[in-house]
Amino acid sequence: MSQAKAQDPAPHTREWTPRIVAFLCNWCSYAGADLAGTGRNQYPPSVRVIRVPCSGRINPIYIIKALVDGADGVMVSGCHPGDCHYLAGNFYARRRFTVLKRLLTTMGLSPDRVHFTWVSASEGARFAGVVREVTEKVAALGPSRIMKGGDMDEL
Amino acid sequence: MSFEKQRDEVAALCKKLLADGAVSRVVGFREGGVEGMSLPYIFTDPAGVDMLTWNSRCLPNLNGYLTGGEGNTAIVAKPCDARAVVALISEKQLRREDIHIIGLVCDGMVDANGDPLPACVECSVNCPPVYDDLIDDPDVAEKTGGEQVSNDTSLERFEAEIDKCILCFSCRQACYGCYCQTCFMDRGSPGWQPTVPGRGDKMLYHAGRTMHLAGRCVECGACENACASGVDIRYLIREVTNFVGELYDYRAGMDLDARPAMLSYAAGDREVGFLGGDGDGH
Repeated sequence: MSQAKAQDPAPHTREWTPRIVAFLCNWCSYAGADLAGTGRNQYPPSVRVIRVPCSGRINPIYIIKALVDGADGVMVSGCHPGDCHYLAGNFYARRRFTVLKRLLTTMGLSPDRVHFTWVSASEGARFAGVVREVTEKVAALGPSRIMKGGDMDEL
Repeated sequence: MSFEKQRDEVAALCKKLLADGAVSRVVGFREGGVEGMSLPYIFTDPAGVDMLTWNSRCLPNLNGYLTGGEGNTAIVAKPCDARAVVALISEKQLRREDIHIIGLVCDGMVDANGDPLPACVECSVNCPPVYDDLIDDPDVAEKTGGEQVSNDTSLERFEAEIDKCILCFSCRQACYGCYCQTCFMDRGSPGWQPTVPGRGDKMLYHAGRTMHLAGRCVECGACENACASGVDIRYLIREVTNFVGELYDYRAGMDLDARPAMLSYAAGDREVGFLGGDGDGH
C-alpha cells in the first residue's frame, strides 16, 4: 500500500500529463464512463470527454482536428458491435476508424496516438482500464507536436 | 501507336450518336491546351466533332463535365474515366441510363516531356470495366498488374510533401470524387481552415480528403497531374485504397452492382489496430 502511494505523483506538480480527447457515444460508452465514476473506479484525469450521439456520428476530421489542435492522443469508444442504439452506426464507424488508423500511420503518426475501442454501459471498470491503458501508451510517446503552424518533429 | 485509328473510330461514333439524337452532348477532348495538353470539350453538334482529339495528352478526368445539360451524355472514357463514371453511378450521383460510355483501351498518358505519368505506370486497368461501346486497340496488351510502388511511411516523407503544398485545392478540383457542394475546407462554420494555415492545417486537409476518398479512388492520378507544386501526396490514398481492397475486397468503379466499401459493413469486419482487438474481429 505504501509502495503504491509512493509511486503516485504528488498533486499539483507541474509534471506533463497527456491531454487525451475522448469521443464517447451517448448510449454506451458515456454511460460506461458515468458508471466508472459512480462505481469509484480510479482512472487518470487525462481524458477530456466529448459526448456524441453515436460512434457513427464521429467524422474522422474531428479526430484529425483534435490532434492538429494539440491533443496528445485521441480515444474513441462506442457501443459494442451489434449493440448500437441506432442499429448499425458503429458498424460504419468501425470501417472508418480502421481505415483512419491505417491512414494516420501511413502519414508517419505513431499508432499509439489514436485508440478505438468498445465500452458498454455496464462496463465501468473496463472504461477505467481503457483510460489507464490509453494514458500509459500516449504518455510513453511524450507530448504531441502537431500544433497549428508549428513543426511536427515528434509526433 | 494507333491513337489516330482510335480517334477516327471515336469521332465517327460520336457523330452518329449526336446525329441520331441518342445523346445530346459528348464530353471529350480537343486540342489547344498548353504544352500539347488536350482540353476537355463538350460537343453538341455533329459537325463540331471534327475537332475531337484523342492522343497521349488527354490527361484530365472528364467526370466533372457530366452533370447538367439536357438529355443523355456520352463520355469519351479512358479506363479511369469509365471507373469514375461507375463509381458515381454506385454513389447515386449519376443514372446509368443517362450516360453513354464510349470506352477506350488506353496504354497510359504522358507528361509534357513525353515520359509516362506515374499513375499510368502504376495502372493495372487498361480496358474500361463497364462501357456501351468499346474502342479497342489491338496494340495494347492486357495488363494484369501495374508497377508496384514502395510505400515509405515515415513522418519525414509526409512533412517533405506537405511543405510543398500551398493549399490551392487543385487536387480537389481535379478529382472526380470531390463533388461536395461545399468542401469542409471552404466552410466558415465550423471554420476548419484558419486565415493563415500551418502544417497542421495542411495535414487536416490532406488527411480529411483522403478519408473522404477512402475506397472511392479510381487511381486516375488527376490530383497529381493537376498539382502545380509537385506534391506527391497520392501515396496516402494509394495505401488506403490497397488497404480497403485487402480488407473489404472492394475496388471502386469496377462493378456497377457492388456497394461502396465505406457505405456498407459486415458483422465480422476485422478490427485492425483496435484496442484489445486481436485484429480478427470477434
